[in-house]
Amino acid sequence: MSILETPMNGFGETGAGSTPHALIQPAEIKDTDLPMRVLVIEDDRDAADYLIKGLRESGYSVDHAADGREGLSLALSESYDAMIVDRMLPGPDGLSIVEMVRKASIPTPVLFLSALGDVEDRVSGLKAGGDDYLVKPFAFSELLARLEALLRRASPSQENTFLKVGDLEMDLLARKVTRQGKRVYLHPREFRLLEYLMRHAGQVVTRTMLLENVWEYHFDPQTNVIDVHISRLRQKIDKPFETAILQTVRGAGYKLEPGA
Amino acid sequence: MNRASITKLLNVFGSTTFRLVLAYTLIFSLSVGGLFYFVFWTTAQFAEQQIEAAITADVTGFQDAFARAGVPGLVMAINRRVEPDLRGDGVYVLVDSVGNPVAGNMRRWPQQVVPDDVWVTFTVTDPSRVTDKVGDVRALQFVVPGGFRLLVGRDIRDARRFRAQLIHSLDIGLAITAALGLIGGFIFSRTIMRRIESITRTCRRIMSGDLSQRVPVARTTDEFGRLALSINAMLDQIERLMRSMQQVSDNVAHDLRTPLTRLRSRLESALRHMDDPANREAVEGAVADADSLLATFAALLRIARAEAGSQRNFVDLDLVAITEDVADLYGPLAEEKGLTFASDIKPGLRARGDRNLVAQALANLVDNAIKYTETGSVTIAANERDGRAMLVVADTGPGIADAYKDKVLERLVRLEQSRTSPGSGLGLSLVAAVAKSHGLDLVLKDNNPGLRVELAFPRIEATVKATPPPMVPPAEKDAAPRQVAAE
Repeated sequence: MSILETPMNGFGETGAGSTPHALIQPAEIKDTDLPMRVLVIEDDRDAADYLIKGLRESGYSVDHAADGREGLSLALSESYDAMIVDRMLPGPDGLSIVEMVRKASIPTPVLFLSALGDVEDRVSGLKAGGDDYLVKPFAFSELLARLEALLRRASPSQENTFLKVGDLEMDLLARKVTRQGKRVYLHPREFRLLEYLMRHAGQVVTRTMLLENVWEYHFDPQTNVIDVHISRLRQKIDKPFETAILQTVRGAGYKLEPGA
Repeated sequence: MNRASITKLLNVFGSTTFRLVLAYTLIFSLSVGGLFYFVFWTTAQFAEQQIEAAITADVTGFQDAFARAGVPGLVMAINRRVEPDLRGDGVYVLVDSVGNPVAGNMRRWPQQVVPDDVWVTFTVTDPSRVTDKVGDVRALQFVVPGGFRLLVGRDIRDARRFRAQLIHSLDIGLAITAALGLIGGFIFSRTIMRRIESITRTCRRIMSGDLSQRVPVARTTDEFGRLALSINAMLDQIERLMRSMQQVSDNVAHDLRTPLTRLRSRLESALRHMDDPANREAVEGAVADADSLLATFAALLRIARAEAGSQRNFVDLDLVAITEDVADLYGPLAEEKGLTFASDIKPGLRARGDRNLVAQALANLVDNAIKYTETGSVTIAANERDGRAMLVVADTGPGIADAYKDKVLERLVRLEQSRTSPGSGLGLSLVAAVAKSHGLDLVLKDNNPGLRVELAFPRIEATVKATPPPMVPPAEKDAAPRQVAAE
């Protein structure tokens, strides 16, 4: 991890062992009896329609509020699994809504949407109680990946220092990785990359998410440097074995999935 | 006088105002000199005319006397002149045909006076019996019937002395005029320079990014006050324009990016239900095009933000960590391409800036170096030169010809040789924008072969250097993960 700490770390997933997670089983979140409920607070008609349609197609149950007042009352009265909040809204703005929601001790994960992409804007969004920050415009796959990451994090978890995805195991204390019981030697950065992927096993992880959480960069590199790091990681965890567990998801990113 | 004040003095002499004052002094001195010369010339002329008029009057008197009583009458007239004129400045001599003096106050005919001239000027070397004068004489000579020769003159030593005195006075007057002009000019230009200097200082601060600075207005009534007011009004206008430009570019970027993103997503969802490989390929190409358009918009917006970036948000930067992170991110990319990748990092190197912007500038440089280098090496270095922190990226690629070195820093400029490779042509522009907002010196050099890009940070003030902010413990970075590789 870089020694230049930013409040981004409040997200938790950035540091090796900073927020230990449960032993992640690739259980399908959406396959439970009730669909996940998401509140979308967005005043732009087109953007809202597009979001709602995409989320419903992906199996979510969506409520929509077109201004700050309605959004705040829904957020305080109903129970949601996640909220997607635009920063600039008529009525109370996104920041105030989230501040009030947090004051009411509602821990629902919040994903901010904003046209403001400066580091200070991010920081203010996270300080207000947001969990992730996505700059408009974004690819829908990026939003979906981040939303899933937030929902996964909100699901009950127990403290753990041992990750297991299929036959791939990671011991965070001994900093040891094995697959099929065979030792895999990784460089520090590869270790963190794999840790992040394992914590989000079964989910699509985008290149931007990796860049933000493993390298803590909030910019797009000109070249897809991440691909090179992934391919190196594959050389070590997939190549020597019969089955590949690190998948490329076309147009979106990567996914660690056993038995694929 | 110490060095600083000498430099300051030299500044005064080098200023435009002073040069103007100097030229003005010169012209004024020349006019005064011309006037003095005219006064001198008329005065000298007048004195000379006086003398010649006196001589002519004498001669007229002598002619009358000769007409009335011949040579004896002339001799009497001469003697009459000489007697009361013992202390006067008249010079008379009458000689006979063999040259013996007959009358007058000179012992003999002066040798210098030859018969050809009418008006003569000569110097008396042997004093006459009536005067002991030795000096210059202006005289009129003519021949009297009977072989006599007459010389009537005036001593012009007083006139000469007067002339010399006059020249001397005029010289002193001229010298005083010039001296006063220079001293006045010096004071004058220093006063004006001080006021111009305050305007220059404000402009420099504005150029470094603080657009809220304004020129101090001392008096609103004089020219400088009006100039300051005009500059301030202009700055207000620029600030307004820049803010609305920012607004417009944000809006344009937002308005164009949103439908573009939707387009991309629609193509993506269409792709999911598409089985025909030919169609798939076409749609995938369209997605890639949308991606590159989005990347260009994003880069343009980032450059605009970096350029407008204010130093207020700067923090103390650990250049070692930044350089290591970039090396860590790009090292594998270089090795994948078969290039040698090396980093040379001086421990403890710090500077002030925006972490994300500096990291991205460095990342762009390394990205470019790897992109354009086919064989050889890419080196990233963080070191110190002359007390200034430096970030250096060097490669063994084709380099950039001197003629294009400035051009590549402009937006969307890509050299012909790189047209075919991917990228928006904004990588180096972002580096230039970051350099501008951070006050860095960005230099492109020949690496022989290849390109060497240097980013030099401003020298850190002594006070900052003396109390470096506490280091954040590099706990996770260094301690634990390294052991993975070590085992």
